[in-house]
Amino acid sequence: LRTTMEVCSSDGFNVTLREFGCEQCLLSRPDGSSSFIQGDTSVLAAVYGPAEVKVSKEIYDRATLEVVIQTKVGLPSVKERSQEQCVRETCEASLLSSLHPRSSLTLILQVLHNDGSLLSCFLNAACMAFMDAGLPMSCLFCGVTCAIASDGQVITDPTATQEKESRALLTFAIDSTEQKVLMSSTKGSFSVHELQECIAISQMASEKIFQFYRESVQRRYSKTL
Amino acid sequence: MPTDTKRVRGPEVSQSLSRFICKPETTLPSDGTRADGRNRDQVDVRPVFVRCGLVSQAKGSAYIEAGNTKLICCVYGPKETERKDETDMKCGRLFADMRFAPFSCPERGSWIQGSQEKDLSLMVLESLQPAVCLHKYPRSQIDVNVMVLENNGSALAHAITCASLALADAGIEMYDLVLGCSIRQDGASYLIDPTFLEESGSNWASGENQGSLTVSFLPSLNQISGLQSDGEMGEETLTAGVRTCIEGCYKLYPVIQQALVKAVRGAAPPPSES
Amino acid sequence: MAAGFKTAEPLEYHRSFLKENCRPDGRELVEFRTTTLNIGSISTAEGSALVKIGNTTVICGIKMELANPSVEAPNKGYIVPNVDLPPLCSSGFRPGAPGEQAQAASQFMADIIESSEVVKTEDLCIERGKLCWVLYCDLMCLDYDGNLLDTCTIALLAALKNAQLPEVTVNAETSLPEVDLKKRKPLQIHRHPVASSFCVFDNSILIVDPTGEEERLSTAQLTVVTDEDGRLCSVHKPGGTSLSGERLQECISRAQVRHREIRKLIDKVAQSVTSGK
Repeated sequence: LRTTMEVCSSDGFNVTLREFGCEQCLLSRPDGSSSFIQGDTSVLAAVYGPAEVKVSKEIYDRATLEVVIQTKVGLPSVKERSQEQCVRETCEASLLSSLHPRSSLTLILQVLHNDGSLLSCFLNAACMAFMDAGLPMSCLFCGVTCAIASDGQVITDPTATQEKESRALLTFAIDSTEQKVLMSSTKGSFSVHELQECIAISQMASEKIFQFYRESVQRRYSKTL
Repeated sequence: MPTDTKRVRGPEVSQSLSRFICKPETTLPSDGTRADGRNRDQVDVRPVFVRCGLVSQAKGSAYIEAGNTKLICCVYGPKETERKDETDMKCGRLFADMRFAPFSCPERGSWIQGSQEKDLSLMVLESLQPAVCLHKYPRSQIDVNVMVLENNGSALAHAITCASLALADAGIEMYDLVLGCSIRQDGASYLIDPTFLEESGSNWASGENQGSLTVSFLPSLNQISGLQSDGEMGEETLTAGVRTCIEGCYKLYPVIQQALVKAVRGAAPPPSES
Repeated sequence: MAAGFKTAEPLEYHRSFLKENCRPDGRELVEFRTTTLNIGSISTAEGSALVKIGNTTVICGIKMELANPSVEAPNKGYIVPNVDLPPLCSSGFRPGAPGEQAQAASQFMADIIESSEVVKTEDLCIERGKLCWVLYCDLMCLDYDGNLLDTCTIALLAALKNAQLPEVTVNAETSLPEVDLKKRKPLQIHRHPVASSFCVFDNSILIVDPTGEEERLSTAQLTVVTDEDGRLCSVHKPGGTSLSGERLQECISRAQVRHREIRKLIDKVAQSVTSGK
């Protein structure tokens, strides 16, 4: 197993992301796995499937996707359940699950360390794990978190301290084909203008993240091919 | 207590206001009129407001309001039994679930079903079962869900009435309606359809014939399908109490019938013009 | 025939209506169902409201209790919202612990309370570090026909407006709190968050206030929460098909109109309750 580390930070367009890192196929038991690092935030993702599905959860025309978030300490709470819903519905939109009817897909996201932008890290880890599992997808997706500081400045990919000091926190999932918003989850109050600004910034950041995806996959296969 | 991870959690401990209220405890008058103006020793049930078919998703539903006691009941089914190993080829199964909303009582209740709610659910089930033609629904189950929105006494009795009305609204075949009525026996006198305070008042004199009684009654068959009594009552008092409850049920009967007729009229297609 | 078509091909059935810019229940695409509100119907709760949007019914009861403030926030009380979807409200819900939808809705309500500061938790502090209020806001769905989040938000807001805080004094001798239920004052409502939900059909058609069936058939859902200043308290889109910035702007504009309508409704009902006393 090899490590693919990639630095992705740039100051152009006022979009600063922390140091990104990604490793695929690092677990042997799951059908696909990845670990994704954004600064000090780190998430491990594992995908099982397509596998047999419980009769009670079977959907006749597509695969049943289950997302489980495991916290670093303690039991998952209502907040994790809400995040699971966000990740699941985002994945459902991009996975071509109708190609695997009456089967189950399970995505497990383990938090290794949380230093802000956790939900976007979940999304990025999930996308890389699905890619590693070789599941057919209509598009890729990535997560971007924007924090609006008290002075109105938008900080992308904030740390936990920056999140705490911020007035509002917005997380978007952006798709790779049209750069549209797949998922949106916000906290705090903000104006319509600020929302549109954050979406525009997230779209710009997404290009960098997709570029990072490409490089990290290229690097992974460059030695095997 | 294990922490509930599936709900938004508050502080570890919080205390109900009733512990800190600085007012003398109100005592119930031991004779004559009751707090809400009704008389003791009279079959003076609270006027009820009844409606059928309020819940769009349910097969049948009913809402009942007696004084401040407010209940809603929904019936789902008959549908395939969920647990295949319990499928009965000859006879359907009835399930009853009765719950109190967390804000329904003076003290906030838990979301998790307590033993009291389980007991009451069983009582509702056993009272309804003799009235439902379950042999007409082989291999299926019928779910009865009762939710107490506000409890101001006699919740069980009204739950039974409400549930049978919802079953009738769902078009489940029954031998008869089931009506519930309860009394609170206080020595020689009784209070019919007691309120929450009358039911649970801590200042009841100790002595003979202190107890409460709930009867579920099939009015047109003149049979009793359920009877629950607690406290201590003599044989004669108890039989007299049962008789009083039956009388109370008969007072409810026309109101329930009317509500049902109204619901059927509303659901029936308008008469054809020809 | 039509009934058979509806059951066999629900999606085609809906599409045939949407093609004509209307919906099976006769509404236009951007029309909400009739919203009714009843305040203060539960006397055992310190504040209560029953809201109906079409068939969907949610009842909210607020119970107040006393507790010690947490060490991290000694000057703050607690607001604990919980949404329950009992098997009573639809055949789609199982008895027992709340499912994912109910939990996500509970979290959504908690997020709205925090983001909008509808009630400031600082207002719930009685004595710093020693005593504070806990507001248990229990929301129960009695009839589920789609658009749970909008209904819950209105129910919560109306119940908070209806809630009355009793006066509490701390006895100097016993250092125990004493509650006077006779003297009550209403909670201070700082903001009025109102939610508007949307559904996307076939990746393109946008409809408001979806029914249960429309929710099931749609490809994405979106809930926008606005306050009286036109600011956004939440843009919640848990996933589904993507949405462009322009479509999002349409939703926000509609949500701002809806906000004014609901404010009017709440004020009207609240007024009739106070004048009726």
